[in-house]
Amino acid sequence: MIHWAPEVSDDWGEVLAALTRAFEASRAAAQAGDSIVYVVHNDDLLGRRGAGKAMLATGLLSAARTAALEGIRDGWTVNVLAVSEGTDPETAVDWASHLVESSDVTGELLRIGPDHIGKALP
Amino acid sequence: MVTGAARGIGRAIAEKMAATGPLTVIGVDLAPELALAEQLTPVQVDLTSPDGPDTVRRAVEASGMPLIGLVNNAGITRDSRLVNMTDESFRAVLEVNLGAAFRLCTELAPLMSDGASIVNIASRAYLGNFGQYNYSMSKGGLVGLTRALALSLAPGVRVNAVAPGLISSEMSMAIPEEVRDKMVSAIPLERMGTPDEVANLVWFLLTPLSGYITGEVIVVGGGRSLS
Repeated sequence: MIHWAPEVSDDWGEVLAALTRAFEASRAAAQAGDSIVYVVHNDDLLGRRGAGKAMLATGLLSAARTAALEGIRDGWTVNVLAVSEGTDPETAVDWASHLVESSDVTGELLRIGPDHIGKALP
Repeated sequence: MVTGAARGIGRAIAEKMAATGPLTVIGVDLAPELALAEQLTPVQVDLTSPDGPDTVRRAVEASGMPLIGLVNNAGITRDSRLVNMTDESFRAVLEVNLGAAFRLCTELAPLMSDGASIVNIASRAYLGNFGQYNYSMSKGGLVGLTRALALSLAPGVRVNAVAPGLISSEMSMAIPEEVRDKMVSAIPLERMGTPDEVANLVWFLLTPLSGYITGEVIVVGGGRSLS
């Protein structure tokens, strides 16, 4: 299951709705034994595009780490892919597909592009 | 201003603030024990209610003092594995731990004076913790909120997060003893932390001693993130 974080504003209702959709999709995937990839924006992991988008991106990252722990026993994985402003959508799909098919990598954050270099670790 | 001030870490933070100097410390909580903390100006309110943040804002304005510090500490847990997690337990944890903090920051930021500081009490669980998909997501979201506010409220207001690990409190005492013992055995410092040890860091982040620190997450976990 590849879940793309939607664009949200700084409205709590929108953020909660987006987090809830991710939860519901993830619970269904986990129940089916399917691996999960969340796709977020690099800038949002550092809060550069506002509070709403930041809460969504970092909330998904933390949830992915916890879900990854829970999936170890049952053989499904959870990872996060972070894309940048200029990332080619096909490149993002390729990486997300690779992650969702991999059984060796879980609980990881993969960032496309160089924007994160020299910045805080999320 | 400290939320979740009736017990545990929030109570320790509020009491440390009250002992520091000529401050009015407003303690916010839903629990009735809040009234027992004599040094605090209590505001008993449900922060997730539509008028919760407005009630708190009015209490700040009624104090007649500038708002120099806000600590978002209120939090709950509703643990289960993701595959078994109910819609209700997911929503309840997100609303209290993240939604209330966000709405309170939005409401109170305009009242904060230059040099003020916000501290969000996250959790080491933002790095991942078995059986806590909802809690981990809420605390991770709090980290993102911290970073976004650190950028948008600079240079006047600093915003940081503290991520406690296993702390001796009502929440941790609810964990079965054998599980808690196993958790302690994985902590390099070989013990649980105390609410006062978290309060000491929060106090530092609220004062000008930490004047060049913003947007950071500091773990108080006895080294557990390494073991």
